[in-house]
Amino acid sequence: MKTKLLTALLAIAASTALIAADSPAVGTNAPDFSLTDSKGKTQSVSQYKGKYVVLEWFNPECPFVKKHYGSGNMQKLQQEFTGKGVVWLSIDSSAPGLEGNLTAEQANAKIAEWKTKQTALVLDPDGKAGRSYAAKNTPHMFVINPEGKIVYEGAIDSKATPNPSDITSATNYVKVALEESLAGKTVSNANTKPYGCSVKYK
Amino acid sequence: MVPNWHTYWKFPGDAGIPTEINWKLPDGWKVGEIQWPIPLKLNEPGDIQIYGYHDEVLLLQEITPPASLTGNTVQLAAEASWLVCEKICIPGNANLKLDLPVAAQSAAANEEIFSRYRRSLPQNWPETKVARASWQREGNELRLTVESAALANYPAADFFPLPEPRVVVSHPKTERASDGKIIFRVPIETDDKNVSALNGIIVFGQNDNGPDRNAWSLTAPSSIAAAAPSIPDAFWKYLLFGFIGGFILNLMPCVLPVISLKIFGFIQHAGQDRRRILRSGLAFVAGIFAWFIGLALLLIGLKSAGREITWAFQFTNPYFVVAMSAVVLVFALNLFGIFEISLPQFANRGVLGWTAKEGDAGSFFQGVFATVLATPCTAPFLGTALGFAFTQSGWTILVMFVAIAAGMAFPYFLLAAQPAWLRLLPKPGPWMLRVKQLMGFLLLATLLFLLAVLGAERGVEAIIWSSCFLLALSLACWMKGAFIVPTASAISRGVVMVLLLVLVLGSGYFFIGNKFAAAKTVAYEIGHGDWQPFTPQLLESELKQGHAVFLDFTAAWCITCKYNETAVLETAAVRDAFQRHGVTKIKGDWTNADPAITKILKQFGRPGVPMYVLYPGNHAEPILFPELLTQSLVLEKLETVSAQVAAK
Repeated sequence: MKTKLLTALLAIAASTALIAADSPAVGTNAPDFSLTDSKGKTQSVSQYKGKYVVLEWFNPECPFVKKHYGSGNMQKLQQEFTGKGVVWLSIDSSAPGLEGNLTAEQANAKIAEWKTKQTALVLDPDGKAGRSYAAKNTPHMFVINPEGKIVYEGAIDSKATPNPSDITSATNYVKVALEESLAGKTVSNANTKPYGCSVKYK
Repeated sequence: MVPNWHTYWKFPGDAGIPTEINWKLPDGWKVGEIQWPIPLKLNEPGDIQIYGYHDEVLLLQEITPPASLTGNTVQLAAEASWLVCEKICIPGNANLKLDLPVAAQSAAANEEIFSRYRRSLPQNWPETKVARASWQREGNELRLTVESAALANYPAADFFPLPEPRVVVSHPKTERASDGKIIFRVPIETDDKNVSALNGIIVFGQNDNGPDRNAWSLTAPSSIAAAAPSIPDAFWKYLLFGFIGGFILNLMPCVLPVISLKIFGFIQHAGQDRRRILRSGLAFVAGIFAWFIGLALLLIGLKSAGREITWAFQFTNPYFVVAMSAVVLVFALNLFGIFEISLPQFANRGVLGWTAKEGDAGSFFQGVFATVLATPCTAPFLGTALGFAFTQSGWTILVMFVAIAAGMAFPYFLLAAQPAWLRLLPKPGPWMLRVKQLMGFLLLATLLFLLAVLGAERGVEAIIWSSCFLLALSLACWMKGAFIVPTASAISRGVVMVLLLVLVLGSGYFFIGNKFAAAKTVAYEIGHGDWQPFTPQLLESELKQGHAVFLDFTAAWCITCKYNETAVLETAAVRDAFQRHGVTKIKGDWTNADPAITKILKQFGRPGVPMYVLYPGNHAEPILFPELLTQSLVLEKLETVSAQVAAK
């Protein structure tokens, strides 16, 4: 009985500690969503339990997104880590009528044009997934571990500029987080300030 | 810029990047930092908050030419890059060149725009009598408290942070306290415990984003950064302190009556079923844990709500003290045998008081009760341990309280688990009844202490009205003992029960709800002519003049404080020494949790009173004393003080 009481009280203590958080904090459960991707398939975080999942907030018109796709940097990352069994979901939360909003056809055209390598490009025109993660930027990155806990939240890399020439000299936080996670280590830099355009919510 | 488009401030907020300017200047020329005018705070859908400029902005930089120049003209070039956004964002850049003639004198150009933007720059932080700022780290929140009468006149006040690149901050919130202080809460998402303050600007005006706004620059004090110890090794050490402190709590005078009764319980049970002893012991232990964990959760809750937290804070609430007095008196009457307490599930067994044949629930509440009584006593080690824990995260506080509970519960746990050791205790017999009654008197003594606390908090009237209530309560207890007995008929028992409830509730309403509530809060008499009452201003002015100052922080309900005062501070030898060294003696009364005192307690990392600090004078570092003073210690420190001061 005593242990049950203790567990209950600890649970209460843990839940009160979270109230103030903004984006779901590193170490907490990743919010789930159920959305359709550009190919018409349903995508959720929970269906990939047991795998590492990367969430990348995406807006093809945003200069910061163009920086990483135009240079091939994002595609390279997607290819490397999906090759290692990581699930990569790009999420477009731009509302209809605003910059970067895509229909399924437009999304598929963009995938072909940019030769992107993500597992799926998820369409979130209502901003449901975006708001539940408090995704603020494109790109805003999350890494979720096989237990469904967030292990990284923040920027794609350490140089907050729209300039592609800064990519090579920057530290790619997502790459480091994934490499450390896959090696069974805890992520050394689990929380950074994301940079980019604002997500275009309605 | 086209209307409604914006560029970004030095800290762009949730999105965007600041404008950058790279100068290409001839050799010997220097350029200063960009001076950023006060930005607008703009909100976008999805709770995205950014800081930037609409329409037009002038970013000032000071360019210093070398001492001498040759040639007729000089070219100043810069590469500027920016991000301009409305619904969409467009990065821009430009290479700019300016050819200036070299001359001994010059007429300023564009004066109007320069002077307009100079006016919109944040100003330096004003002197401390105009505004004072202090930072506190509360878990994942940084709290900036600004005390300023000037600021209180502006309806709009905000804090715009300028965090270091590695520090991730969320949206600051502004709160106005009733005393004119403004509190800014900045959630930070960086686990680095050394981050305890931020740079930023305090923006104030008639309206948010209004044209008449002013701002003060705030630079994070670097000294604060090292304040809280945060080494894991220290954590275990403090946890051990908590455990030892919890164990010692058992011996403190306010806990002893309850504890001795528990021991009696064990003696009674000796020779009985081992399982029962274990169950009853564990229930008692669970009671101890329940109180401490509950207290920890309450404190964590208060802390996350931004309140100052301290040990024994509940004693600063007079109603809590009244409730405690009632419980103590009822318990004492029970020990005297005036009535018996029957807990519902054991009612039909005619329980002979809590101790004779207790059930598990009885044991549990005994455990709770023992710990409630323990809080006004801080035991040695406990202050240090709690002082550490209160500066840490909610988890650390919880774990620390569990450690204290474990320390306090330790002996019962042992006795319950190893009933064979009970043989070391004396055999049960009629003597136990006498000791029980004697313990009743010890509880009455505790009651006197509680009433004295009430008197200090609320004056003589409060003692009188709460005593009236206590008298009615005693009468009710007697009625219960005399008339609500198994031999009485159900009807007469019912009638007495109703009368009894009317008596308790009526007197409670009248004496406590009415009369007691009307009794005014009084300042605790800081007696002994040579002590001055504490105010931050007094301390500051004394220290400014280079005087030596001794601070005594006390409270009416603090027994350790009273002991230190009588046994050490007010002895002839110590009084003499204070006088000889010309030490200004300042006493602060924390009976009603004066926030100014809470603040200074925090500065020294103490969770509550007592606290003694000696400022040796001539601006030397203050010396913090342990909770329990000795004459020799105080005298010794006073001697080194005079030596230090003389050496300067």
